[in-house]
Amino acid sequence: MSILASGGFWAFVGVVAGIYTILSLGLQVQFGFAGLLNFGQVGFMALGAYTMAILVVKEGWSMWLAAPLGVAAAAVGGLLLGLPTLRLRADYFAIVTIAFSEIIRYVATNETSLTGGTQGTIALGPTGTASQYNGQWAAFQTHLQHSLGFSSADATMLVIVWTVGVVLLTLVWVALRTPWGRVLRAVRDDEDAAASLGKNVFAYKLQALALGAALAGVAGLFYAWEFSFFSPDDFEPLLTFFAWMILLLGGLGRVWAVPVGAVVFGFIFAGTRFLNFAPFTWVASDERAYIRLIIIGLIILVLVVLRPQGLLGNRREMVLE
Amino acid sequence: MSPILEVEDVVRTFGAVRAVDGATFAVEEHSVTGLIGPNGAGKSTLFATIAGSLKPTSGRIVFAGRRIDRTSAYRVARAGVVRTYQAARVLTRMSVLDNVLLASKGHPGERLLGAVLRPGASRDHERAARARAHELLALVGLEAHAQAYAGTLSGGQRKLLDLARVLMLEPSLVLLDEPMAGVAPALRVELLEHILAVRRDRGITFLVVEHDLDFVMQAADRVVVMNEGRVLTVGTPAEVRTNEQVVDAYLGTAH
Repeated sequence: MSILASGGFWAFVGVVAGIYTILSLGLQVQFGFAGLLNFGQVGFMALGAYTMAILVVKEGWSMWLAAPLGVAAAAVGGLLLGLPTLRLRADYFAIVTIAFSEIIRYVATNETSLTGGTQGTIALGPTGTASQYNGQWAAFQTHLQHSLGFSSADATMLVIVWTVGVVLLTLVWVALRTPWGRVLRAVRDDEDAAASLGKNVFAYKLQALALGAALAGVAGLFYAWEFSFFSPDDFEPLLTFFAWMILLLGGLGRVWAVPVGAVVFGFIFAGTRFLNFAPFTWVASDERAYIRLIIIGLIILVLVVLRPQGLLGNRREMVLE
Repeated sequence: MSPILEVEDVVRTFGAVRAVDGATFAVEEHSVTGLIGPNGAGKSTLFATIAGSLKPTSGRIVFAGRRIDRTSAYRVARAGVVRTYQAARVLTRMSVLDNVLLASKGHPGERLLGAVLRPGASRDHERAARARAHELLALVGLEAHAQAYAGTLSGGQRKLLDLARVLMLEPSLVLLDEPMAGVAPALRVELLEHILAVRRDRGITFLVVEHDLDFVMQAADRVVVMNEGRVLTVGTPAEVRTNEQVVDAYLGTAH
């Protein structure tokens, strides 16, 4: 059977798009609604995944306790990063965030006794054993698969990820429609004006950063559960830029633009895998993988020129001064 | 009458430049006090220092008996000292109404936990704030634009919106930075009338930086003249107009 017609493959694409949705939703809160240029989103994802895996394997915690702790660790990471840096100018803050996510990755690479180092989570436990943090998750997924009467684990994961995704999207959408969200947008558009209206700009930025970091933590959990294994290499800065591409594709400042951007991104990314005809075949197949990045880059370029507000953004809001 | 604001020997330096160099004056409660001086006299820096967005290098600023010179800008605003900007800083991507609603004080829904855990309290506050915001928009004549993006307003209309927003904050002292700059002549009269009416009806004190001397002479009870970071003189508009030092400062000593 061709991979194109394989339900499992497209379910996998859908799961990854769901995980990207949650990751990029965090970025939408931070940048789309609070104006924070965060280029280190993947670092919070790593914090969530590693905290969960370490607590399960090393401390023997139940996954159901370790998972919320992973999200909390990502949020606390956001607070700790934000406290000393959020008073910096936006461009300096952006540089600090990318350094932050690289520090997380380097610590995960080198603190072998804590993280398993370059071998990844398989080396979390004692030497000579292949450790697994995924037992409880797999059991839950199988149980759910039977209750739903699904034939494949992929379809079950797809349902779980998108259920959580839609719940989170809805919660964020509701939160941003409250007066709290109104202040956040004011902080994004004009910090000084917000301060002169008595708003504690710093506190709002810190909350947005921590909330977005927590969402990245959730994405980290699903990433860990989907792949049953991860290593520091999974948290390269490239992933943060994928989240940014999704944001630009979907549109800034719109909650429901995030899943649209993620699905479009996911399908372009997976779809370019099938470019097995000329002229693409002139390129060696292992190098062909890079073509999809070039294509996505071109699409974003065209979009920025023709439709700068993204697929779902509001053009009017972009041109007002 | 007693002073609501006392500026005592305030210095603010930027490197070797002493933008404000020992300014001392007081603003009487319920007055409209003009703050004038040639370009570079330190008016804007002093304004930012009073509003808390800049910290003074030395000196004291006392508002209603409390020192505010080490207080952050948002706390100064909450204490009742609200500043406006020369080019009104309206939030262009929000509706005119939302701009005013943003200025509502003590909104429980502006705290994330308050919005989530006490939606009832947030809704009640929002309803009351909405009614008040509509009243204020009607007062400044922008009611018809309530749902429009603030970015669609003209410069003068933005100043009116800014005034409505400031009034929403129920301040005791308003710092107006060149309220007449960029306002069409037809709107100027209206803006001046609003300011005087607000002073009369709400007992709000105004400290006004303004280059339009006609406006200052018309509106101000007292005028503070600054030059080279210091206060040159304080007096009634009539006194200031005839003061030779003031004339020198404005025209240069070689006139």
